[in-house]
Amino acid sequence: MDLSVNGPKVYFELPFDLPDINIFTMKNLITQSTITLFAVTLILIIAAIAVTRRITKRPGRIQVLVEKLITMLYNLVEDTMGKHNLKFAPYIGTLFLSSICGTLLGMTQIFRSATADLSVTAAWALVTTGMVWYHNIKNFGFKAWLKGFTEPIVVMTPMNIVSEIANPVSMAFRHFGNVAGGSVLTALIYSALAALSNLILGWIPGIIGEIPFFQVGIPAFLSIYFDLFSGFVQALVFSLLTMVYVGGACPPPEEMPEARRAILEKRAAKKANKKA
Amino acid sequence: MGLLEATGILDKFESFVGVNLWTMLFAWANLLILYLFLKKLLFKPMKNMIDSRQKEIDDMYSDAENARTSAEELKSEYEEKISHAAEESEQILKSAVRRAQLKEEEILGEANSQASRILERAEEQIELEKKRALNEVKNEVSSMAIGIASAVIERDVSAEEHRDLIDDFINNIGNEQ
Repeated sequence: MDLSVNGPKVYFELPFDLPDINIFTMKNLITQSTITLFAVTLILIIAAIAVTRRITKRPGRIQVLVEKLITMLYNLVEDTMGKHNLKFAPYIGTLFLSSICGTLLGMTQIFRSATADLSVTAAWALVTTGMVWYHNIKNFGFKAWLKGFTEPIVVMTPMNIVSEIANPVSMAFRHFGNVAGGSVLTALIYSALAALSNLILGWIPGIIGEIPFFQVGIPAFLSIYFDLFSGFVQALVFSLLTMVYVGGACPPPEEMPEARRAILEKRAAKKANKKA
Repeated sequence: MGLLEATGILDKFESFVGVNLWTMLFAWANLLILYLFLKKLLFKPMKNMIDSRQKEIDDMYSDAENARTSAEELKSEYEEKISHAAEESEQILKSAVRRAQLKEEEILGEANSQASRILERAEEQIELEKKRALNEVKNEVSSMAIGIASAVIERDVSAEEHRDLIDDFINNIGNEQ
């Protein structure tokens, strides 16, 4: 009975050595997570094409379901970020779908959950942070953004910087930890059940004694929690956090400082001009 | 599982907690591709469809609301007209009745006066007839009296000579009656 907790399998590595820095590695080009990510992309694009191939004013069953989900997404974005931030809804939807599909594909046993790889969740968390910083600087100006770190008092500056870095780190580790932890727990329970099966039924001679009967059924219920429920909740939490952070960087125009609002309006007018 | 794995070239796992920069890069690439595709294929068309349908429904409802209010306006207008008509008809009826009553009285009065006139005339006629009859009777009686008298005295009574006598006689008869 051996139980090993591994990261994703490496399918292809670079022929030359690259130095690892702490937990950061660069040598392994293609891993199980990469394959899963591409599978997610492919599946979702095919599903999107299949769903939107024939959309009509009078919707069919599938269209009603998809429309309901999309309406829910837009409502959620509107409630969390405000009406002026509805343009973020497609990204939030993409993030949510990537996350939940990346997690659930692990249940097929053909793929390994993409979100059980810290690299993936870290990449997504960094996108969120990048969006927050970009919109902060765009909306309030670079100086005001930097000045924001010294508030409410200058002494708080290191704390603010730490919390700014902690945001993506905690997001990445929360998502990764929940999914990876779930899979580890499932593996542990499988081996425990195998051991129990061996202990109780092992005396039966022949092949019957070797079949781990206790592994049938029981892990399915745990899987409902650790894979389905946890996967859904983590996708939701990740999307919600992204919405909250990015929404904080994009306040409604009427709450902007007067000077900034004038600059933004001028910029928007210029953009509209260019389009026309 | 994978082709490379099946060939057994690599039997290597990454560490459980680690960040592979290549995987990160692929994650970004996939997220970007998926975002662009889903935005164009799924979210935009679906949202447009939902919004346009919502707009259509809203339009229909507002149209129905407009139609309803206008119908209600028309209805109240008609009701007003109808109530006016009832009043008017009542007035017409009343005036007709009044006119009829007047006419009735007029006719009645005329009839009465006519009847009384006829009665008067009839009375006059009767008086006239009576007089004529009386005169006739007088003449008859006078000629009879002359006849009788001439028979009695056996001689001709000349009418011219005894006119006064006869008349006196008849008048006395008339008076005695």
